[in-house]
Amino acid sequence: MKIILVAEQRDGKVLGSAYELMAFAQALGGESAMFLVGDESVLPKFSGKLYLADVKSAGEFNPDGHKKLLLEVIAREQPDMVVFSHSSYGWDLAPRIAFSMNAAQVSEVVEVVDGALVVPVCNGKLRRQVAAKSAKTVVTLQAGAFSLADEPTGSPTVEKIEAADEGRVSFAGYEQAETGGVDLTKAQVIVSAGRGIGKPENVAMIENLAKALKGEYGASRPVVDSEWVEHNRQVGTTGQTVSPKLYVACGISGAIQHLAGMKKSEFVVAINTDKDAPIGEVADVLVVADLKQFVPMLTEKLQAL
Amino acid sequence: MNLLVCIKQVPDMESKFKIDAAGTWYDNADLAWRMNEYDEYAVEQAVQLKEKTGADLTVLCIGSDRVKETMKKALAMGCDRGVHVADDASSRKDSFSIASIIAEFAKSKSFDVIFTGMQSQDRGSGQVGVLVAEMLDIPSITTIVDFAFDGGKIAAKRELEGGVKASVGCTTPALVTCQLGLNTPRYPTLPNIMKAKKKELLSVPVADLCKVEAVSETSTLYFPEKKGGGLILEGDVGELADKLIKILKEKTAVLA
Amino acid sequence: MEASREIYWNVGHSAATLVPMYLLAIGAMGVLVYGFLQRMKVYRQGKELVRWDEMGKRLGTAIKNTILQDKVIRVRWPGLAHGIFFWGFGLLFIGTLLIMAQADFLDLLFGVKFLKGTFYKLFSLTLDIAGLAAIVMMGSLLVRRFIFRPQGLETTRDDVIMHGLLFVILVTGFVIEGARMAVTELGTPLSYWSPVGLVFAKAMSGLGEEGLRNLHKVTWWFHLFMAIGFICSIPFTKFRHIFTTSANMFFADRGPRGKLTTMDMEDEDAESFGAAALSDLSWKDIFDADACTRCKRCQDRCPAWNTDKPLSPMKVINQLGEIAFASPDAELIETVGKDVLWSCTTCFACQDICPAGIEHVGKIVEMRRNMVLMEGEFPGDEVMAAMEATEVNGNPLGIGYASRGDWAEKLELKTLAEDPEVDILYFVGCYASFDKRNIAVATSFIQLCRAAGVRVGILGKQEKCCGEPMRKMGNEYLYQTMATENIETMNGYGVKKVVTSCPHCYNTLSKDYRDLGFEAEVVSYVNFLEELVASGRLKIESRDLSCTYHDSCYLGRHNGIYQAPRNLIKAAGGRIVEMEKSFDQSFCCSAGGGRILAEEKLGSRINIKRVEMASATEAPTLVSNCPFCLTMFEDGIKGAELEEKLVPRDIAEILAERIVE
Repeated sequence: MKIILVAEQRDGKVLGSAYELMAFAQALGGESAMFLVGDESVLPKFSGKLYLADVKSAGEFNPDGHKKLLLEVIAREQPDMVVFSHSSYGWDLAPRIAFSMNAAQVSEVVEVVDGALVVPVCNGKLRRQVAAKSAKTVVTLQAGAFSLADEPTGSPTVEKIEAADEGRVSFAGYEQAETGGVDLTKAQVIVSAGRGIGKPENVAMIENLAKALKGEYGASRPVVDSEWVEHNRQVGTTGQTVSPKLYVACGISGAIQHLAGMKKSEFVVAINTDKDAPIGEVADVLVVADLKQFVPMLTEKLQAL
Repeated sequence: MNLLVCIKQVPDMESKFKIDAAGTWYDNADLAWRMNEYDEYAVEQAVQLKEKTGADLTVLCIGSDRVKETMKKALAMGCDRGVHVADDASSRKDSFSIASIIAEFAKSKSFDVIFTGMQSQDRGSGQVGVLVAEMLDIPSITTIVDFAFDGGKIAAKRELEGGVKASVGCTTPALVTCQLGLNTPRYPTLPNIMKAKKKELLSVPVADLCKVEAVSETSTLYFPEKKGGGLILEGDVGELADKLIKILKEKTAVLA
Repeated sequence: MEASREIYWNVGHSAATLVPMYLLAIGAMGVLVYGFLQRMKVYRQGKELVRWDEMGKRLGTAIKNTILQDKVIRVRWPGLAHGIFFWGFGLLFIGTLLIMAQADFLDLLFGVKFLKGTFYKLFSLTLDIAGLAAIVMMGSLLVRRFIFRPQGLETTRDDVIMHGLLFVILVTGFVIEGARMAVTELGTPLSYWSPVGLVFAKAMSGLGEEGLRNLHKVTWWFHLFMAIGFICSIPFTKFRHIFTTSANMFFADRGPRGKLTTMDMEDEDAESFGAAALSDLSWKDIFDADACTRCKRCQDRCPAWNTDKPLSPMKVINQLGEIAFASPDAELIETVGKDVLWSCTTCFACQDICPAGIEHVGKIVEMRRNMVLMEGEFPGDEVMAAMEATEVNGNPLGIGYASRGDWAEKLELKTLAEDPEVDILYFVGCYASFDKRNIAVATSFIQLCRAAGVRVGILGKQEKCCGEPMRKMGNEYLYQTMATENIETMNGYGVKKVVTSCPHCYNTLSKDYRDLGFEAEVVSYVNFLEELVASGRLKIESRDLSCTYHDSCYLGRHNGIYQAPRNLIKAAGGRIVEMEKSFDQSFCCSAGGGRILAEEKLGSRINIKRVEMASATEAPTLVSNCPFCLTMFEDGIKGAELEEKLVPRDIAEILAERIVE
């Protein structure tokens, strides 16, 4: 099976998703070439063929232009499958390629089971196996679903492709995220503090754990009520409704208003001395321990990783 | 000016899902239905543009008669007319055939802007919007969290990973797919709910518009095994921390 | 010589006295009538409303309330001060009328006198005491208002006029009596029948007869002018409450208590919903502003006002009055303020205590209706989300409707769909169905029913939110949607008797649902359980429990249910240490008025204030009867860091633990 992997760069950096594409190709057992609109000074570690278009002429964001370039490569390589990351770049470009190729697109693949592509459905509550009826397939991969077992190595054989024309969509620049306001709804990892932290001084240990997990910290209502944490970090029906990949509930009993705000989390870890706390009903893992001892210990070990 | 907004009726995600008899989709029993959340933002943006420019706004939805309830909400939010593509088997179609139905409807109508949600909450493949644009050969911008229109030009902001936004633009006719947070969808006022009951809502048989076959299908739908399965860990704090880190590495992508 | 006095002594009973006096009196009546006619024009800016049905009963109520001053005296001090003043002044007024009746009619035309002998002695004594009491009470009210200055009590030009005028009238009355007695009665036994006048007479006795007669005459005319001035000022000052407040007793809402108007959703011509302009309110709403005496009893009891929120029920009423009389085209909601309107928990403390019969809550809800139904506005996005969740899943928590009956699985409780043969339908409510803490209450109730041999069923996934929080927030459309579905379901099963453990559901099903075709009997679980215990069908063991009890707003003030839950607690062995604010003075938990759906962003937390009141009783258990209260107390106790000292529990849980098999 011949596979083209579409890597991405943003602001001069090649995104790590390129390696996830490689891991997926390995799982399928296919021969892959990579496509990237980027810069020759910053290349992914890949020991295969890399079709490179210069981002300065092709455009940082130019769906029409990138599509033309990629279709050129597809015409040359005649792959069976073109793989993107299910990212803001990937889900924008993939359907255009799929349409041009008369290929079915399978979006947000999370695993391969006996060669069949599995994607999530209904907020991750269900999974389905998708069978493409077309000869070729376009695939996008869920971020983080595939990872290389070993460190990526090697440098690619670069084949340059000429830049395309101006597209119909113009790009005027990036706007960085505001550092002030916190938007828990977009956080991938949230560590929340509940009444169990005991006193406001202990919010710091929650914050540290969040940092160690590269996430944000939040809180349940009673903690916000006591003004130990600002209101924009409240998780619950009258606060934010969040859906991170990982939610760590520290000393939170699990009142329904809180559960309603974090139930959509993909993986929930609860730390509570009470084995029967309602949070246990939505937790994938319930650590029965005193958070005041467990949280610092966990943070230390994570930092040592 | 003519505008189109495409919406989908989906089950409320809090529902208890069951696999249907064929094992390839969810069963319709015991489900509460609602407008796809992303489409709410699309409808709101379309209505705002209509209010600003005086354009005519059509809302389109594919599905059984049940979807008309959801269409009424779009009409109550401000759409002028509705087109219901009557199809009891819409859940068996794929993004490609759905997009072709919409493109077939839109191709002769010269819509200046087409709004869609960036993905549906059930299938979630995020393809229909861009496919429709490709079929109609008009530019498309996905994942917008900001939208402005002035004299035939669209200026939008795309939401990227990490809270970064990208400023992009194009000219009409064009299609945009809407991300959560684009605006605050209005709550329909009572006078508008009552007016909506009288607005034109035409039903078109899907056979009139669907000229293609699906290019993919669901072979099986199932519940994923519960990660960790509600595991309870007790013991020494240090060992617990090690165990948890191991689980996080195995079951989530967070420590990659 | 029979006891009596010469009426019109020294002033003269001739035309020179009578003509100006009656001309002035007639003129004053004219001004009075004219003043009120002008005010009626302003009331008429409001919509029609029939408040004169059952005229006999209304008149009876008005007379009783006014004469007995029962609502005024509910707050002992200064209520009693006003009451005594009122009775005193009232007696003096009657006395004056009797004098006029005899002097200018019965005696003048028919030679009939009755102010003589024993009757006259008692008459004079009564009036002297009345006058003294009135002066003393007026003095104390004056001291309260101008010297003690209670917080929140506004003093205006009107108050200065009123206190001044009345004081002057009363005191000059005694000066007149004293002057007369100094000349005609000093040293006689009759004088002891006018003791206060006697004191004045003795004090003035040094003036000599000519001086006294002059003083008497001048003061008599002065007193007359003051009295005429008083009558003329009535429509134009707060004195108008003499008529407007007593009339408000006649126009009062005769119940059911707190019931809101059910909007006609079928009316296709209706262009506007709720109240945005003065013409959207009823004449009674505008009249209420005139009946208000700014006593601030409502404000004193408002849970929002007492936690630094901008809502003062009194101010809302006054502002509506100001708009009506000064700027009738003003935008109601902008003027009153949205934060003010959203802060209300409909706890009814204002309307319950108001001695003027003002209806505060309905006006606030009408303005909320305008914001929600005409503008799609809510106090916050979380409230809009709760409304949408209710539209989709029939509950504001957004939980899948199909799992509404899951709480009852462990109990093997059947739904009516499975077995409609039941003694009662238990209407569970959203919180008891979905919230783990409150599921325990529902479970307890079922256990109690079973122990008493009662066949109970639930609607399960067919039950929808009763619609109450949505209704109180102003979303009448969504409320009626939920209500009609529930009623159709219940009527479909032929339900005859419904019991509910949520006071909001109870209030809504037993009152509001009647307008939409629901006729079944609706009973609150406390009444239901009390009856079971009293009849012996349910046996509860008495086990000591030191506790304090919170009267929820919706069982308490809205439905007068105070004793039944206390009887149950006592039967269970509970010793209740009452909070200072209990029974009808209970302080809201904050979740009523649809506010269970909203974030509390302004001021301090109402629920924390209430749990601190509970904690002050030193009782270790806080017993309540409402899922909203229980939720607020769980939150509040954590927020106030009182977990070691206070545990919140529902009555049903306490009873269920004590079931004797």
